[in-house]
Amino acid sequence: MTAVWAIFKKELRIYFVSPLAYVFLSVFLFLSGLFFYLGLTVNGEASLRVMLGNLAITMLFVLPMLTMRHFAEEQKAGTFELLMTSPVPLGSLILGKWAASIVLCLLMFLGTLIFPAVLAYYGDPDWGVMATSYLGLILCSFAFCAAGLFASSLTTDQVAAGLAGIIILLPFWLIGSATSFTTNETLRQILESAALLTHLRGFTRGVIDSADLAYFASFSFIFLFLTYRTLESRRWR
Amino acid sequence: MIEVKALCKRYGPLLAVKDLDFHVGKGSILGFIGPNGAGKTTTMRILTGYLPATSGDAWVAGFDVFESPMEVKRRVGYLPERPPLYPELSVGDYLYFVAEIRRVPARERYRRVGEVMELVGLSGWERRLLGSLSKGYRQRVGLAQALVHDPQVLILDEPTSGLDPGQTVGIRELLRDLGGDRTVILSTHILAEVEAACDHVVLINQGRIVASGSLEQVRHEATGGIVYGAELQGEDIIMAVAELEETTRVEPLPGDGAFQALKIWADSDPRPAIARLAANSGWQVRALEKITPSLEDAFLAIVGREPSAHRPGRSSR
Repeated sequence: MTAVWAIFKKELRIYFVSPLAYVFLSVFLFLSGLFFYLGLTVNGEASLRVMLGNLAITMLFVLPMLTMRHFAEEQKAGTFELLMTSPVPLGSLILGKWAASIVLCLLMFLGTLIFPAVLAYYGDPDWGVMATSYLGLILCSFAFCAAGLFASSLTTDQVAAGLAGIIILLPFWLIGSATSFTTNETLRQILESAALLTHLRGFTRGVIDSADLAYFASFSFIFLFLTYRTLESRRWR
Repeated sequence: MIEVKALCKRYGPLLAVKDLDFHVGKGSILGFIGPNGAGKTTTMRILTGYLPATSGDAWVAGFDVFESPMEVKRRVGYLPERPPLYPELSVGDYLYFVAEIRRVPARERYRRVGEVMELVGLSGWERRLLGSLSKGYRQRVGLAQALVHDPQVLILDEPTSGLDPGQTVGIRELLRDLGGDRTVILSTHILAEVEAACDHVVLINQGRIVASGSLEQVRHEATGGIVYGAELQGEDIIMAVAELEETTRVEPLPGDGAFQALKIWADSDPRPAIARLAANSGWQVRALEKITPSLEDAFLAIVGREPSAHRPGRSSR
């Protein structure tokens, strides 16, 4: 646990002493502001539906950029050797890094809370739906961070890791629309249950379904597990 | 303190380390020398638990490296060939982080960080960013991180590479001061360093140990006995010297002008006998000396005769 905490603090420190975190937060808040404005002017309803929906796809492109550094850079700079020759279990290392990227995501969601405040001032939003939408988005960011970490463990090149992260995540987004192209019912159901949108939809309607929770939990778990296996197998090569 | 038995490491078809056996006692400093690519770094990475071995056993600080890697990692300070630094962190933050992951108790961390910074000559540098340090200072930070948890065993991969002569001497002195009950393995291809700092030497080439023991033993092994040199002027020198009881072999060297230079192998010191012979025969003596081979000579002698001797072992490639 000490190791997780130490790694977590170090990662956050590196985020905030480099411009990365600030650039990331400002880009994200700018886009959310834009989506919020568009959502209000186009639909004219006092909800965050448009903004939150668009933020999910934004995260798909932005979060891999946030996590690409983690293992790629450690391996390139030789600091991975320091971590692996210290009494730090590999699992703690991965959890510490995941926790640091999650905290950064939570900070950026914190920044978007100004929009519900604006809505509350001028209108009468549905707070339940808003809360579940946020929950869905947060779970989604956890899962994306896990996938980003996995991408970062695959290569020593940061940019390649970032692109790999997007390439890994994009299919989960796209298969949601692919379902309309197939007439095979079994295939359609498989695609639908693997698609991100299917599982986000419930949250945006104010429903917390245990199937959706399980989807995001296993999404995160599988990618963290794959990260573990990839890093472990690197030692044997 | 460190025990290695029949250690092998294979990278695919390449045999990086083959049948390594050695032992380092508590409190001694072992010099690990060999040309680039001999397997020094691989061996050190295995001992620190970074790489698994293909076969063989290794114990460090009383623990099996492969069965209880965490126990070993707690007791070993390791400086890789390239100091593992985060350029974004400051010296102080970095060392504090290393102290944390190396499990220095929370209330001792600040004190330990201060102590090691003082020890390696970094006092007053805690706020400098690692990315802005020169090579020599990066190396010092690297050494400080290896020492921060006060390890029983120190494994240093080329600790003085890239340092200027003054810094090199500084590091050597530091190593000697650190000694005491700490066990140190340091790898290098600078032989003067081994002569200055180490008690024992393991000479490794193409993944095998080609010589090991004290400095004296390795020198002896390399040159095949003690060698003497003489520069004499007179008649039938070579014959007369070779006939002496003490000498086993005499080899003429190109002398200058009137003096004949000789290289003499002997079981016991032949110098008094040669001096007596010279006096009786009316020779002129310009030099009569015991030649202590430098480690460089030993190294070249051993490594130079290696490839032919060990080629069969690499047939697996």
